[in-house]
Amino acid sequence: MTADPAPPLPADLATRVTAFVARLRTRHGFLLGPGEAADALRTLGVVDVLRKHEVRDALRAVLTASPEQRRVFDQEFNAFFRPDGGPLPPTLPPLLPQTEAPGVEQEHQPSPPNGADDAEPEKKPAPTPPDSGDGDDQGDVDTTQAQPLGESDDGSEDPDEPAQTIRTKLSPNASGGGEFDATEGDLPELLRAAGALVRAVELGRSRRLKPMPRGPKLDARRTIRAAARTAGDATLLKWLGRPRRAPRFLLILDGSRSMGRDATLLLRFAHALHLRSRRVEVYAFSTGLTRLTPLLRGAPPGKTLHLPDLGEAWGGGTRIGENLLKLARQEREHVNRDTLVFILSDGLDTGPVEELERAMRELHHRAARVVWLSPLAGMPGYQPVQRAVKAALPYLDGLLPASGVGDLHALAGRLKRGGALR
Amino acid sequence: MTVSVPTPGDLQALFRARGYVAGEALATAVRLVVALDKPLLLEGPAGVGKTEAAKTLALALDTRLIRLQCYEGLDAQSSLYEWNYARQLLHLRGAELAGERVGDDELYGEKFLLARPLLQAIREERAPVLLIDEVDRADDAFEAFLLELLAEWQITVPELGTLHARSRPHVILTSNRSRELSDALRRRCLYHWVEYPSARQELEIVHARLPGVNQGLARQVTDAIQALRALPLGKPPGVAETLDWAAALASLHRDHLDAGAIEATLGAVLKLREDQLLAAPTLKQLAAKAAEQAASVPVADGS
Repeated sequence: MTADPAPPLPADLATRVTAFVARLRTRHGFLLGPGEAADALRTLGVVDVLRKHEVRDALRAVLTASPEQRRVFDQEFNAFFRPDGGPLPPTLPPLLPQTEAPGVEQEHQPSPPNGADDAEPEKKPAPTPPDSGDGDDQGDVDTTQAQPLGESDDGSEDPDEPAQTIRTKLSPNASGGGEFDATEGDLPELLRAAGALVRAVELGRSRRLKPMPRGPKLDARRTIRAAARTAGDATLLKWLGRPRRAPRFLLILDGSRSMGRDATLLLRFAHALHLRSRRVEVYAFSTGLTRLTPLLRGAPPGKTLHLPDLGEAWGGGTRIGENLLKLARQEREHVNRDTLVFILSDGLDTGPVEELERAMRELHHRAARVVWLSPLAGMPGYQPVQRAVKAALPYLDGLLPASGVGDLHALAGRLKRGGALR
Repeated sequence: MTVSVPTPGDLQALFRARGYVAGEALATAVRLVVALDKPLLLEGPAGVGKTEAAKTLALALDTRLIRLQCYEGLDAQSSLYEWNYARQLLHLRGAELAGERVGDDELYGEKFLLARPLLQAIREERAPVLLIDEVDRADDAFEAFLLELLAEWQITVPELGTLHARSRPHVILTSNRSRELSDALRRRCLYHWVEYPSARQELEIVHARLPGVNQGLARQVTDAIQALRALPLGKPPGVAETLDWAAALASLHRDHLDAGAIEATLGAVLKLREDQLLAAPTLKQLAAKAAEQAASVPVADGS
C-alpha cells in the first residue's frame, strides 16, 4: 500500500528544509540522519506547503523526539522560516548540555545574554538579602547543631549579622559558580567505591519471566518440545524464572555555594559510578536544575573532568524543594522502582518546606530507595534538625554521611546493612 | 494499492464527529501516520486523550483497532503468539495411542497457533490501527523486540519463519514517561506531545461528549479544571476527570458549581487527599464566583 504520489517540491524549499535539518543536528544535537531528512522532504509532499503552520506541525512530528526538543524546534523554525524582511527573533542558545560531541565540552561558551530560555538571572552582583525566606534561612542556621560550616556558626545568638552573611550566600540570586574542573587523582579509589556500591545493591526480582533452571512457572513451550521426544510424556519439566532487577542510580547534587567541595567530590564519584554502570543519571541543582548525564557520558576516563558553566545549577543559592519537585515531575522517566536516589545536600534551604515534602513523597513513592547524603551527618553529635532534612526524614531510607572518600567507601556497606529494598 | 490520505481538516472533522476534539498539530501528526506509514509516539500527561486518539482513528478510518496493553514483564510471546499447549499435548497422546508419529511441522502448524495482538495486526488484510498502549511500562528488552516490527513490518516465529505484514498497520504508541524510552525507538517514530486542551477546546469536548450537560455548568467546570491544573498538584485532572465531573454534577441535577456540589463530587476530579487539601482554597473561590454568576443570570435574563 502506498500513499498518493506527491507532487515534486520546489528545489529551493527542499534545500531549505535540508539545511534546517542540518541546523537542528549540528547546533542542538538532534539525532537526525539522512533517513529523517528524507522523511522531512516526504512530509512536505503530503501537506499544503503554503500553510506554514501545517508545515511546522508536520516537520515537528518528524524531527523531534521529546518535549524539550519540541521547544527548541519551535524557536528555530520561526527563526529559520521567517518571512523575508521579518524581524529576526532572538538567537536561541544551543540545547545545553546534550548537544556537543564528546570531548569538546571545553569549547562551550556561556549562553548569550539574549537567550530566550536559558538566560542566567543569577549572574548579578551579590545582592542585598531578599525579604522573602529570611525567616527560613534563619531557622536553618539556628537548628544546625553540628555546625561544620563557617556560615552556620552562630545564627541563634546574633540573628542580624551572621544571618545576613548566610542569606547572601544562600540567596537564590547568589552569583553563579562559573566553570567546573576536577582532577582525577582519586579516580582509582572512587572506582573501587563505585564498584562496591554497584555490587552491594540487591533489588528484588523482575516480573519478566525467562527460561531458568528453576522458577515459579512451568515453561510449557520448552516442556512440550521436550515431551515430543518421549511421545507426549512430559518427563522433563522446564521452568521459567524471574531474573534479578538491575539497579539504576540517580544522583542529585546540591551545587549551591555552601556545598562546593562536597558536591565536587560527589560529581567525581558520579563519574566513577558512570564508568562502572551505564544506568546512572546525574543532576545538579542550585537555583535551577541541570541534567549532567550527557556531559559525564562524554567525559573521557583518566582525564580531568571538565564541565562548562552550569549556570543556575552550580554555585548559586539553594532551592531544594522546587528542584526536587521539578525532577520528580518533569524528569519522571528517570525515577522508577529500580532507581536508587541519592540526594547530596547539607539541607540549608531557602524554599518553602511544603514543596520539599511533596517532592520527597513523590520520590519515595516512585523510587526503590531514597538516601540523603549529607556532609554534616558524619560529624560527632550531628542531629538532623535542619528544616529541609527534618521535612525529608519521613521519606528517607537513610541519612548517611558523605564528606570524604572514606564515607563513599563505606556507602556500600551501610546500604547493605540498611535492610531489604522495596 | 493507493489510499487517499485525509487532510488535517478532514481528520479533525472525522474525529469531531466521533466526539474527539483534536488540535491541528495532532491531526497533522495522525495524517502523517497514514501518509508515511510510520508509527506515531504520543506522549503527554495522563488523561489527555492519547489512547482515545488511537481508538478514534480506527473509527475514522473504519478499520479494526488492535490494542496491546503493555505492562512490566510483558514479553514477545504474550504479545505475538503462543502455542495451544493443551491441544498439542492431547494431539501427541492421541497420536501415540494410534501408533502414529508426530512431526514438528504438524505440531507447530497453524492449527495450534494462538495469534496475539502483534501477529493479528500484521495478518490483517485491511490495515488496522495498532495501539501499543503505555509502552513505557514494558521493559527495555520488549522495546528492543518491537524495533524489528516497527522498522521492517515483519515478525519472526522460529517454527514458522519470518512473517511479513499483509498490510502495514497504522501504529500508535503511547507513553506516560514512567521510563526513559530508547533513542532507537524514538527515531523510528513520529512524535507528538499531547498537551492539556485549552479552555475553549475543553468546553468543546464537554459539549461533544456530554451534549446533555447545561452550557453554564460546562463552562464553570472547564474553568475550574483549568484553575486546578495551574496548581502544583500530584495528579492534575485530565480530560477524563473533566467529563466525569461534569457527568457527576449533571446526575445530581446541578446547574452550577457550589460548595455542596463540589464537596459531593470532588472525588471525581482530585484523586489524592493532599491535592484535595491543596486545592480547597481555589475551589472555595470558584464556588463563590459560580454562585455569584448563578445569582446574576436570572436578573440579566429578566431585564
